[in-house]
Amino acid sequence: MKNKYSFVLIMLLCILLGSVGLTTLYVAKEQAEEEEDFKIVTSFYPMYIAALNIVGDAENVSLQNLSEPQTGCLHDFQMTPKDMKLLSGADVFVINGGGIESFMEEVAETYPELAVVEACSEVEFLEEGIEDSFVAEDEELEASRTGHVHEHEHEENAHAWMSISSYRIMVATIAEQLASLDEAHAEDYILNAQIYDAKLQDLQEEQQELFAMTEGTNVILFHEAYAYVADEYGMNVCYELNLDEERQVSAGEIADVLEAVENDGVTYILAEELYGKEIGTTVEKESDVTVLYLDTLNRGDYEKDSYLNAMHNNIELLKQELIK
Amino acid sequence: MIDWTSWLDYGFMRYALIAVLIITPLFGLMGTMIVNKKMAYFSDALGHSALTGIAVGVVFGVQDTNLSMVVFAVIFALLLNKIGSMNTASTDTIISVFSSCSVAVGLAILSKGGNFSKYSSLLVGDILSITKAEIGYLAVIFVITILFWLFGYNALNAICIHKTLAKSEGIKVKVFENLFAVLVALIVMLSIKWVGILIINALLILPAASARNISVNMREYHLFSLVFAIFSGVLGLMVSYYTNVATGPMIVIIASVIYFATFLYGRNERNK
Repeated sequence: MKNKYSFVLIMLLCILLGSVGLTTLYVAKEQAEEEEDFKIVTSFYPMYIAALNIVGDAENVSLQNLSEPQTGCLHDFQMTPKDMKLLSGADVFVINGGGIESFMEEVAETYPELAVVEACSEVEFLEEGIEDSFVAEDEELEASRTGHVHEHEHEENAHAWMSISSYRIMVATIAEQLASLDEAHAEDYILNAQIYDAKLQDLQEEQQELFAMTEGTNVILFHEAYAYVADEYGMNVCYELNLDEERQVSAGEIADVLEAVENDGVTYILAEELYGKEIGTTVEKESDVTVLYLDTLNRGDYEKDSYLNAMHNNIELLKQELIK
Repeated sequence: MIDWTSWLDYGFMRYALIAVLIITPLFGLMGTMIVNKKMAYFSDALGHSALTGIAVGVVFGVQDTNLSMVVFAVIFALLLNKIGSMNTASTDTIISVFSSCSVAVGLAILSKGGNFSKYSSLLVGDILSITKAEIGYLAVIFVITILFWLFGYNALNAICIHKTLAKSEGIKVKVFENLFAVLVALIVMLSIKWVGILIINALLILPAASARNISVNMREYHLFSLVFAIFSGVLGLMVSYYTNVATGPMIVIIASVIYFATFLYGRNERNK
């Protein structure tokens, strides 16, 4: 009888100690860069790359990104406890702005003290693209039933990093604001931003070389992020289909796309490889339009030049298509 | 070194702790009866019906899906009891039919337009989803369950041992069985969002099953079940916080370890 109770006690103690021990081991491994003076957290990939270039080799500054959403775009991103923890230790939170960070309300409520740098505060957003009635209807329904309004609906198109000129403004904004928040490293930030901006300028010039050839071309977009690309190249957007991870297209929409291709003499469709490939192949088969799979730069490797490289690839892709 | 109290600095973790402290004793209590009555499959089917509950709520445009889930689950549980008592086929067949039907309907509605990914957090649970209102509901159910246990346990146990005998004793078998089913439905529905559909049943069954391994009487059975449930709940919550894994699964892992330990111990004792 007594035996049994002591068994239970010992068993529970063992499990407790075991889990505490294992957890300690695990956490110890995670806690490597706790000792930095100034902690910057970014909301997602393009912000991280921009901040990475601005921070450069500045000492005692740590830079971390929120956990990467599985789905690419931030719309349905859910903060994990780890993200909450990350933010609780942060000095600055760098966000894109324009409503893309749908969790900002929650963050502002939980951490009213946290300084927020909105990269797009100086950027003029494009209007939401051509109204896709199907999406709008669907989203209204969804909003009414879940109480969760899809952030796109009444917001501007916030995918400004897709345009190099806007991205340059964003980099400058982040650098300025970081400099004012962290005076110890202010010079580093401004200097690094200037170096990065020079590289971006080269990239932009490379892009502008194509302008004469692309201006006035009719295109269809499979993601609203490409509205910025189309804008920079002076392309006319005839139809926009907002494909992402949680939407499947209906046959009717494909018919609409094909009709737009037919009627407006569309030459290119700009699409994302991950979500647009299937429909892209279908449309290519049915008509003589070319689908260009451009990187939306919302994920990739965490290298300094990731933005430059990905953007360069996008430009190259278009250039080869134009020369053909 | 880890700061072992830092997890309580966050509002959502405090809510989660309160929810765990309310829900795990309930799981422990209800579990003993579910295991006794061999209803493990029943509660599993209830868990699956949460999908349909949400789907129904979505179709009717109910803002608070908790409400549609609870209403649906209660109807579902009563219907199951009703048809089960008609003795047309064995209970597990009937439960299986109900369970698969409701899952199918739920999946069909929720996956319409390829949107199921939005609900996938329901499968593994999301600790951040606990709200103040839900804790309020849980507290109410806690009180109801305790009252039910105090006044109805003997009757329920009698039914469990021998239905006809219990009836001859003047016990209202139908009423008690339905009440019990409704309570299980309520508890399952209100905790499913953070525990997750896939494993909610484990949480209901494991503490009681572990307790049964080593108990010799009802008092011990309940005591151990309660202790195991609360222990795995609180420890699981803590560990999941520090290691960044989903909470429901972590709790179930700890409860499973307890089950196997008690299983081995119980077997040794019996062989002596």
